Parts: sequence; structure tokens; C-alpha cells
Amino acid sequence: MSRLRKPQWVLLALTIILSVVLSACGSNNSTTNANGNKPSEGGSSDKPVTISFIHWRGEDAAVLDNIIKKFEEENKNIKVETQVFPSDQYQSTAQAKLLDGSVGDVFASFPGAQFEAIAKAGLFTDLSGASFLANFTSSLIESGQKDGKQLAVPYQLVYNIPIYNVKLFEKYGIEVPKDWDGFLAAAEKLKQEGIVPIAFPGADIGPGQFMNPMVMNNAPDEDIFVKLEAGEAQLTDEWWVKTLTQFKELNDKGYFQKDALGTKGDAAGALFVQEKAAILATGSYQLVGNKKNNPDLQQGLIAPITVPADQAVFEGIHTTTFMLAVNSKSKHPEEAKKFLEFLSGKEIAGEYANGTGQNVTVKDVAYTSDELNAVAEWTSKKTRFQPRFTIKNAEVQKAVTSSIQAVLGGTEPAKAAADAQAIVNQQIGK
Amino acid sequence: MKKYAKLLPFFVPGIALYLALFIYPTVTGFYYSLTDWDGLSPSYQFVGADNYANVAKDIIFRKSIVNNIKFMVAVVIVQTVVSLLLALQLSKQKKVNVALRSLFFVPTILSSVSVGFIWTFVYDPSLGLLNGLLEAVGLSSWTQNWLGDAGIAIFSIAAVQAWAHIGQMIILFVAGLQAIPEELLESAKLDGATRLQLFFRVIWPLLAPAAAIVVSYTTIQSFKAFDLVFTMTGGGPAYSTEILSTYIYNSAFMNYTFGKASTASVYFLLLISFITFLQFRALRTDRVSY
Repeated sequence: MSRLRKPQWVLLALTIILSVVLSACGSNNSTTNANGNKPSEGGSSDKPVTISFIHWRGEDAAVLDNIIKKFEEENKNIKVETQVFPSDQYQSTAQAKLLDGSVGDVFASFPGAQFEAIAKAGLFTDLSGASFLANFTSSLIESGQKDGKQLAVPYQLVYNIPIYNVKLFEKYGIEVPKDWDGFLAAAEKLKQEGIVPIAFPGADIGPGQFMNPMVMNNAPDEDIFVKLEAGEAQLTDEWWVKTLTQFKELNDKGYFQKDALGTKGDAAGALFVQEKAAILATGSYQLVGNKKNNPDLQQGLIAPITVPADQAVFEGIHTTTFMLAVNSKSKHPEEAKKFLEFLSGKEIAGEYANGTGQNVTVKDVAYTSDELNAVAEWTSKKTRFQPRFTIKNAEVQKAVTSSIQAVLGGTEPAKAAADAQAIVNQQIGK
Repeated sequence: MKKYAKLLPFFVPGIALYLALFIYPTVTGFYYSLTDWDGLSPSYQFVGADNYANVAKDIIFRKSIVNNIKFMVAVVIVQTVVSLLLALQLSKQKKVNVALRSLFFVPTILSSVSVGFIWTFVYDPSLGLLNGLLEAVGLSSWTQNWLGDAGIAIFSIAAVQAWAHIGQMIILFVAGLQAIPEELLESAKLDGATRLQLFFRVIWPLLAPAAAIVVSYTTIQSFKAFDLVFTMTGGGPAYSTEILSTYIYNSAFMNYTFGKASTASVYFLLLISFITFLQFRALRTDRVSY
């Protein structure tokens, strides 16, 4: 036996171990109670019921802790323990913890693929008929319904349409465009003035956000992506190829910042906040953050209308997310529902909204900031639910957004659409 | 035999850990690869070898293998060559070399997520340090969209991977070099060996075992580079940096196809074992005596 034989076996074993270790996922999560302290175990026989609340919104933790404190004061026999996971870990590890009911009496979920998977696993308690549902705008909680049952209540309302700098538009005499030609003309004017027309975070959230208003009137059928997954529509059809062509047009004409595909959300946001860019192609959830970074900003929402004005069916896109639910494995479902009821009160929902800078789906909430009020105005406009979230298969979703990246990288729209359709076909078993 | 029986209890903790942390997950992973489990539902169906056939045909899986091999080759070449050259310089026992070795080791102790975030900022096309530096020294034509250009993004991440782990490789090579007797090098010099001859005829044969470890370790590291890809590009743009580990993650946790992800993991295991085996075959040397 040569001298290398033994190390060979050792290394082969090491290889196998490392490969397996890769598939294991750890989780660092923080556990706090309403006071921000580590919850203590044990207690006396009159120990109150403790419910667990898990979610991914670390940025809301302080506001939610105050709300929980109020809830506990009103409900002396209920304690709420909160666990906050980073959103990527929430996808990978937190939801698995729901299975035995040990955590997540109340939990949050994303619409789309995650909602579908949790519903399929039977982890949602049917909330249909609960009195607190009347506190919500009924049209805004539909994304939490499945098979005629209200399985979750989306708490946040977001408009996934670009933000624009009102002062810059006024300074250069630009009206909010009503059609595609107007949108291009506005972008051209801004470019001529030395302003980046659209800050587009092409490296991460941009394609998934901006695709929604770009496609909304090219394919006014709200079930277009449902049909795509059913094999009844194709990405190679005119509606998607046209959308990709319009993306290409914006890129080729220099209306996105240079190297948009290498720009992440933070960098695109910085361009907008510094007023180097006039439009930020993300969504209303960034309004308050932008204002914090530049108090002089005046912001509004602007959706690209990709068709002639008389053919426009929709004015914008809305998403209802942060879907709150009660775990079907919960040992304390009534207390969990009580907590949801508390969150759905307009005063508490208002405290959450104004504290976090997020609009909510609860009715009659008094917003205190210009940004939240500007968003609230959109509730009277004709918007449709975010098309991307109607895609239930995450690989199909990725194929769609990747086709946008491919076009921005130089691929012809028809080819990018065909490449993406090939992946879709594979996913839907065609 | 009785003598060994007495030693058996000492092996129990190790064997128990090995069974619990390695054998059990491997076997269950293989078991789930034969099912359509979504990772959440209490029930699932056996689908036999369907997942294996479907994953093998999967366009993104194939892309991820190609990308991973590109990534691996780039990391192995850069990391091995650069660490060997640096080790040759730093193997001499001088105070400055000890300090430099420590300096090169620093990136190794950083978390790969932090490294990913740091380098994302460095690579930013408009605000990044790298393009800024190139422009400052008059090399504007060299500036790139490092992570946004599908043609180079995978190599940009490979460079970071190499940078992050080069310290470990230097240490391995330095240990190998310091194990070579000084007399051997001196006698080769006395026999009139040139520097190249000295390296290829004396140093390299004796260093081959260390090189084999460096190459195989680097290969394994490059297949495990999930954190860097996840934080820097998420597999984009347009799948150009999708690698096996991100494919497995997406299948399991984004698309809820745990069975398919387990299948991809089995393929991953076979591929990495095969590549490691080939590397050892290629780097195997006959026993060198001196």
C-alpha cells in the first residue's frame, strides 16, 4: 500500500462529511418577550398561558414589542413570546418548527409559494367567520384565502410600483405619464438634464418588483401566470415578449443607471435618496426609509403604463403580505386568535403602521405621515394583486425574473422568453 | 482480541456521534430522494427513481453543475498557484514572514457571509472600491460590472473564495516545505541544480502530498461555497452563478421540493467524491525516499 492510500480514504470521508454538512441548516434566532428580555421558563400553578409568535420582520420588533405589552396588560393571563428570524431563515427553518406546534401559535407567512406549501401541510387554522375579519378591507385579505376558507390575514399593504421624486418632476416640468410614450419622454427629459431616470436594482429585487407594473397592462388578465403554470399561456406569447422588449428599450436608451445588473437595492436606493435618480423601481415600502435618509424628499408613486392610455386597464400593483395566521397544531388557538383580534383593532393597527412606516389592510386607520397618506390614496385606484405572487412555483418565478436579467445582459427578448419557457415547461411537466 | 475489547467503550462516543450526525442524515437524505416530500407535509408518496431522472434532465441543475465546475477550476488554479508561490516566499523562518503568514490568514477567520457582503460593496459597479481604484490609477478601461455581467460574475466570486481561504493553503504548503530537510536542498545545489530543477526535481515531489490535500480541500470548499454566492448574487444574473448548493437550497426551501433537493444532494455527493478521487489519482506519487 502506498503512503497516500490512507490519506485518500481520510479525505474521501472528509469530502462526504462536508457534503452532508452542507445540507444541514442552522438557525440563529433571537427570542424576546414584550420587554425585550429573554423569556423565563417555569412558574407557579397560576402561570399564564404563553403563546409563541414567530415572524421575519426584525425591523418591526420594537413596535411589535410595545403592542404586545399593551396586549398583555389587557389580557393578564396571556403572555406572548416573540421569535424573529431573518427572512431567508424563515423560509428554510422557521416553518419547519411549526410542525410540532411548539412554536408559532401565531405565525406570519409570505403570499405565493410559501402560503401554498403551508396550506398543503394543513398548518393553517381556518379563521373563516372570525368576528375580527370585519376589521379588514375585505378585498385586501383575499390573498389569505384558499378553497373558500380564510387561512391567514395579510397585515401589510404594499404598492409594488416605482417611487418618484416629485420635486425633480416639477423642476423639469414633467407630468406623471399616462402611457408608454409619455413614460419614455419623461425618462428622456430626465436623462438630458443629467439625472438618472430610473434607479433599478437589477442584482436583486429590481426584476421581481418592476416586472409587475411593466406586465400589468400588457397582460391585463389577472390569471395570466396561473394560466402559465397550467400550460395555457406561454412566456413566448406577445404579452411577455413585449414586456421584455420594453425592459430592453429602457436599458438600451440608458434610462437605467449604468451597470444596472450589478446594482443592489441599497445602492439603487442611495442614488434615489441623493437625488441623482428621479425614479426608484421598487415599491412603497421604501418611502419612509427614503424620507429618513433625506427629509427634504417629496415622494409619490408612479407606475409605467406600457400601453396607450385608452388601453390601460390598471393603474398600479398592490400586495398584501405579512400574512398572520394561527397554527393548526397550536395548544392555545383561542388565545392566538385573541392576539390576532387585538392586532386588527384600528388603533393598534395604526400604531403598527405609523411606527413601522408600512400601510396596513385594516380599515379606517389614521396615518400620521405624508408617505403613508400618499400610499393610502392608492386604495381608491384600480390596482391588481402583484402578478409575481400569483406564481406558485418558485422555479417558475425565478425563470420569469431571470429572463429580465438575461435581456438586460444582452439576450434578445424572444430568446430570453424561449429559454425561460423551457424551464417553465420542465417545471409544469410539459 | 480481548485486548481490543477493553478499548471498545472508548470508541462508543465517537461512533455514536458519527452514526447520529453522518450516517443517519445520509441515509434519510437518500430515503427522501425517493419521495415527493415537500418538506412540510406529514404525508408523501414514494416516486422511486423519478426524482433522479427529473433532476438529471433539469436545465438549471445542469447549468449549476457547469457553473460549479467553472468555479471550482478557477478557485483551485488561483488558490493553489498563488498559495504555493506565497508559501515558497514565506516558508523561511524570518520574523517578517511569520507576521505576513498571520496577515494572509486573517480572511480565513471571517464569516463567509460577512466576506460576501464586504465584497459585494467592493464589486459595486458605480460605488465600489475596485472600480474606483482602477479609475484612480488610470485603468478605467479595466472597470467591469463584476457581479452583473453573466460572463464574469462566477469568476468574480471565485476570486473572493480564493482570497478568503488562501491563508489556510499557505499554512499547509509552508508545513510541507518546512518538512523538507535543508541538507537535501543543499546537496542538490552542490550538484549544480538550477532553481527550476530544484523546484521540480526535489521540492515538488516531496510537496505532492501537501498539494493533494490543498487541491482536494479547495475542491470541497468550492463546492460548498453557498454563503458567498447566496449573499453576493443569489445565483444571478440569469442563473450565471447558480451552483449546486444554491440549487439544492432553492429546491428545498424556496420551491418546497425536498425530495428533489435530496436527489440533487446525492448527485452532489457522487460528483464531489468522483472529482476528489480523480484528483488523488492525478496527484498520486510513488513514495519518495531520502
